[in-house]
Amino acid sequence: MSAKTLNSRKSWLLSIDSWAVLAALLAALLIRAGVFTRIPW
Amino acid sequence: MADAIALPQAKPDQPALQFLRVIPGVLLLAAVGYAGKLLERNVGTYAKAHHWTFPNIEYVLWAILIGLAISNTVGLPQIFRSGVATYEFWLKAGIVLLGSRFLLGDVLKLGGVSLALVAIEIAGAIAFMTVLGRAFGLRPKLTSLLAVGSAVCGVSAIIATQGAIEADDEDSSFAIAAILALGALSLFTFPLIGHAMHLSDHAYGLWAGLAVDNTAEATAAGALYSDAAGKLAVLAKTTRNAMIGFVVLAYAIYWASRGQAKTVGNKAAFLWQKFPKFVLGFLLISILATYHFFTKEQTTALANLSRWAFLLTFAGVGLRTNFREMRKQGLRPFAVGAIGEVVIAVFTLALVAGAGKLFRF
Repeated sequence: MSAKTLNSRKSWLLSIDSWAVLAALLAALLIRAGVFTRIPW
Repeated sequence: MADAIALPQAKPDQPALQFLRVIPGVLLLAAVGYAGKLLERNVGTYAKAHHWTFPNIEYVLWAILIGLAISNTVGLPQIFRSGVATYEFWLKAGIVLLGSRFLLGDVLKLGGVSLALVAIEIAGAIAFMTVLGRAFGLRPKLTSLLAVGSAVCGVSAIIATQGAIEADDEDSSFAIAAILALGALSLFTFPLIGHAMHLSDHAYGLWAGLAVDNTAEATAAGALYSDAAGKLAVLAKTTRNAMIGFVVLAYAIYWASRGQAKTVGNKAAFLWQKFPKFVLGFLLISILATYHFFTKEQTTALANLSRWAFLLTFAGVGLRTNFREMRKQGLRPFAVGAIGEVVIAVFTLALVAGAGKLFRF
């Protein structure tokens, strides 16, 4: 039971690489949609 | 009783708790990075106002230096460690966003040149490191890890290879320590050599991307030279990272054929599993930017967001570098790594010089 729980928990976990890509793409979409119009530097 | 004790240990795996655990470290990354940015702006102004001669030190170097000072004096308290380890997340998100500053044509042209140089670099580096490891009497799997670390992409490649060839944890930590220590040294030596040799931004960026092992250090070494060199270093390093799956697969097959690692079943699945996904994200953003999916203002916003992500990365590079810890790992792997890195740096510099004459950059 606990092994099953662990497996099901692990199955939706992505690598750090994939999370970084998703976060960057989400940020790009938000900028494209005009939610963030200006990011100062 | 043992079960009762074991159960609470599963708690940190819960996503909400994991998220909470990284907050202090991420705030520290942001504080160190922002302090670097403030120092860049204010130290130069202060020196000018007082008529001092002071070199213009960029935020990249300030952030790394502050991180190094914290890590090597007071040390990094446990509460910050999980968050500081997210520097790799910021690095990869920053690289994906940096794709907006490359048009697809440039990626294909520069990536093509990089790919040819990367292929030569990987073959040369693996052959040389293997011979060197044998000459120094290092354990064969440690030699393999050092060869992959210097030829492809530092720590990620070592971790991927360790799993594939079933190397000892000890060998892996030796190799990682050597690669990280040499990466830290390259941050200071590469820009100095580049300036001394009057390398163009293009040539220097390619060189840093080809010769510096860890992606974070390669990005920082490029950015320390100039913005344009930083962009090229990321492109060359990303091309190198894309090769990780092939090199790890070759090593896995080699060690399996000697009966010292598991046989690789589905090679395509193995390659996909090891392939760095951020390379695809970088290409996707670059394609979108090329076909005007983003306006000019939006492209600037994406580029600035990429800079903020790199700011956290550079702070992380300093904060996770502890020279005392590295020294504990022993001198021989470091010596092999150091000799290998010097030879690879000279070799790749000659490659870049040759390519520069051929492609006129």
